[in-house]
Amino acid sequence: MVATLLQLLARRLVVSIPILLLVCALLFAILRVLPVDIAAMSMPPTATIAEIEAKRREMGLDQPLPQQFLIWLEDAAHGRFGRSIQLRRDAGSLVADTLPATIELAVAAMVIATVLGLGGGLLLFHVRGTKLEIVGEVASTVLLSIPEFLWALFLLFIFGVALHLLPFTGRLPPEFVRPNVTGFLLLDTFLVWRPDMFWAAVKHMILPACALGLAFSPAIMRVLRSSLLDVYQEDFIAQLRLRGLSEGRILIGHALKNAILPTLTLMGVQFGFLFSGTLLVEVIYSYPGMGNLMVDAVRNADLPIIQAVGLTYCIVVLLITIVVDCLYLVLNPKLRAR
Amino acid sequence: MRGVTGARAPMTLEIRRRAFLRMLALGAAGVAVRAESAAAADTDSVTIAWPNDIPTWDPNQRFSPDSQPIFKMVFDQPISQDPQLRLVPHLMKSWELAPDALSMQVELRDDAVFHNGDSVTTEDFRYTFFERVKSGSRLDTANSWKKVQEIEIHSPTKATMRFSDATPTAPQWMAFLGSYVVPKKYLESVGVEGFVKKPVGSGPYRLVDYELNSRMIFERNDRYWGPKPKIARVTIQIVKDPSARIAAIQSGQVDLTVNVPVREALRFQQEAGFAGELNPMTRVVLLQVRNDLAFADDNVRLAAHHAIDKEALSKAFYGGAAVALSVPATPGTPGYLADFQFKHDPNRAKELLAKSGFGPDKPAKIGFASTNGQFPSDYDIARAIVQMWKRVGIEANLEVIEYGKYFELNRGSKLPEATLYSWENSTGDPEMFAGNLLNPKLPFSAWKDMAVGDKVVALMNVANYDRRIAGYKALNKFAVETGATIPLLQSVQTLVRKKGLTYTKYGNGWVLPQSMAWS
Repeated sequence: MVATLLQLLARRLVVSIPILLLVCALLFAILRVLPVDIAAMSMPPTATIAEIEAKRREMGLDQPLPQQFLIWLEDAAHGRFGRSIQLRRDAGSLVADTLPATIELAVAAMVIATVLGLGGGLLLFHVRGTKLEIVGEVASTVLLSIPEFLWALFLLFIFGVALHLLPFTGRLPPEFVRPNVTGFLLLDTFLVWRPDMFWAAVKHMILPACALGLAFSPAIMRVLRSSLLDVYQEDFIAQLRLRGLSEGRILIGHALKNAILPTLTLMGVQFGFLFSGTLLVEVIYSYPGMGNLMVDAVRNADLPIIQAVGLTYCIVVLLITIVVDCLYLVLNPKLRAR
Repeated sequence: MRGVTGARAPMTLEIRRRAFLRMLALGAAGVAVRAESAAAADTDSVTIAWPNDIPTWDPNQRFSPDSQPIFKMVFDQPISQDPQLRLVPHLMKSWELAPDALSMQVELRDDAVFHNGDSVTTEDFRYTFFERVKSGSRLDTANSWKKVQEIEIHSPTKATMRFSDATPTAPQWMAFLGSYVVPKKYLESVGVEGFVKKPVGSGPYRLVDYELNSRMIFERNDRYWGPKPKIARVTIQIVKDPSARIAAIQSGQVDLTVNVPVREALRFQQEAGFAGELNPMTRVVLLQVRNDLAFADDNVRLAAHHAIDKEALSKAFYGGAAVALSVPATPGTPGYLADFQFKHDPNRAKELLAKSGFGPDKPAKIGFASTNGQFPSDYDIARAIVQMWKRVGIEANLEVIEYGKYFELNRGSKLPEATLYSWENSTGDPEMFAGNLLNPKLPFSAWKDMAVGDKVVALMNVANYDRRIAGYKALNKFAVETGATIPLLQSVQTLVRKKGLTYTKYGNGWVLPQSMAWS
């Protein structure tokens, strides 16, 4: 199986290269089409036209577009995205500084979405054919229609303002100074062995992670339920019943294993969406992640940051796709046999 | 098989109701820990929800009016302002501008030290206001101090600034945007990249933690030369979303916040334990106008001004707290003219338009730009103005622009006839109002006609204070009467705080943690 897995990995990595190049080209083209003068915007308002022209030459913006693209591509391959127009800092290092917070949040949200999605899917399946089925259908439809930023506001007002149960600004309360080892706060609090800070960080993460998780769980619920319904149409379920297996064992031990595969594919796709869903949630919860950085960059037409963040999103989504493909291979014996 | 899947199968993994309730109770107990800052009030610390992060920790690099109160915690300016906006000594014990405004003698305090223990000397002063601005580092202060020809050092505390042209507002600029003294030795040893990661100033607070777009934590600088702040620890949470800022103060997670919607500030006035404030500040909301295109016609520009009901705008969007302005200066500042009024007069607007052959049936067509979200209710104000204009016979095509695009469009002469604009001037000096807004040579002015421009440029070199102020008063009146600018409102800062937290109100809207105390 390891050989098959490595083969798949190699294949996927090779396929990723043209995808990445295509995304780079699109990103470059779209941002060049925008009516924004990057050279002028990266200079103080008082800059003269001569100074702006000098800056334009320095940035290579006087070159033909294909030449500009090649320069940009070479720089991007070395992690050089230029200086942020707004923050006057290297865009690549800004993204590197903020990426861990977003990854941490997205992973926590995915765990919540998975638990709720799988739990909810099983529950929906369990109540099939009863009066509760319609309630479940309506509830999952309502959940599906609420976007993550609305969840963010709901949860903030319910658990933060009305019930005073959870904090909702930033990642730590004021009394803690953040340890900076890896940038992954939960990990860092462990590395410096501060369980109190770890718990404080977890509490700060609950609401944003739930907002994202709740928004993405209904799709998992519904796909799992319909997959289970499909699996229960198969002959082997009846055979398992004839063998006297309990419904619980059939569901958890056999049906779920088969139904989980399409759900897993969906979860991979969802994780990509969830990652981009952090944009507004991070702004609402003052979370110092890449989404928050991106919203500001878009507002200020800060092209170096937009390009760096856009490319990072693309790489993350590609990586997730590869991981999901590998998991699919591990879980699906039919694929291994091919 | 359908019969099997359709029927409800017996469930062996049954969740018993009692067990479920027990689980729920345990879960609730797990999270039933109140938010930290909502707990018992800590009188030695303050948490503030602030709407924007700072652009950089190099205070000379970017002009950002909203960041000034934060910079003033960590860094010191040579001259500061009192709550009435008068210039007061700060790092400078004294200063004396020469009668020709071509030089300024300065004397620094001898007891000021940077957070790293180095003394603040004239070497640092020279580095900040001369060496750095001439080094080509593209600092915003390179523009404000471009006239500095040399700073002669006489001793660690005494120096003379020499200017290439008369610089009558040098003392005002010492208290304005970007003018913070930075430590030469430290900055040169760590470089700008190192400095912005670990900034060192001589201000009343030290920065102890900073997370981009999230929060900053400050601790009191116990070696501060000036009055020791009463609050030992200040946390500034960057909360960009206004609803989240409201939620943060309402829940008790922060002690003070600013820039909330006006209706929310008014609501908090009725809430027990909170104070909601609408504080007029030295920021003007105005229309920057061009002197060409459809606005080449004086009648159209003046009609556009007469058509606007500023009082109605103030009532609708600022709860009536924003003062209607007739000149580009705010009440109480030197360039303000209390006895001059440009009237809201729709009939006069119609008459003026009729003189040029326009009217409701044959409207004058203009372009109009506005930001959306740059300052409270900006786009809504623009839409209301479009309606007011429509009634008298001006048809405006409203477009939204990003604030950062204003300069680019203005540089390329691509701005429309009118642009809704907000202008901050914490000093209150008229040079930083009309002097910048109407100077055709600067990127802020959309008005390029030299009849007004020559007057502005001449005033830049008037050394005598009284003559300079009188000149700006006359200029303000002239500019409004010729339609070179359309001032609208004095901007209002909204603020909500816990009632027990007091602070000193500044006329320019500074909210300084060093002035805060718990009562």
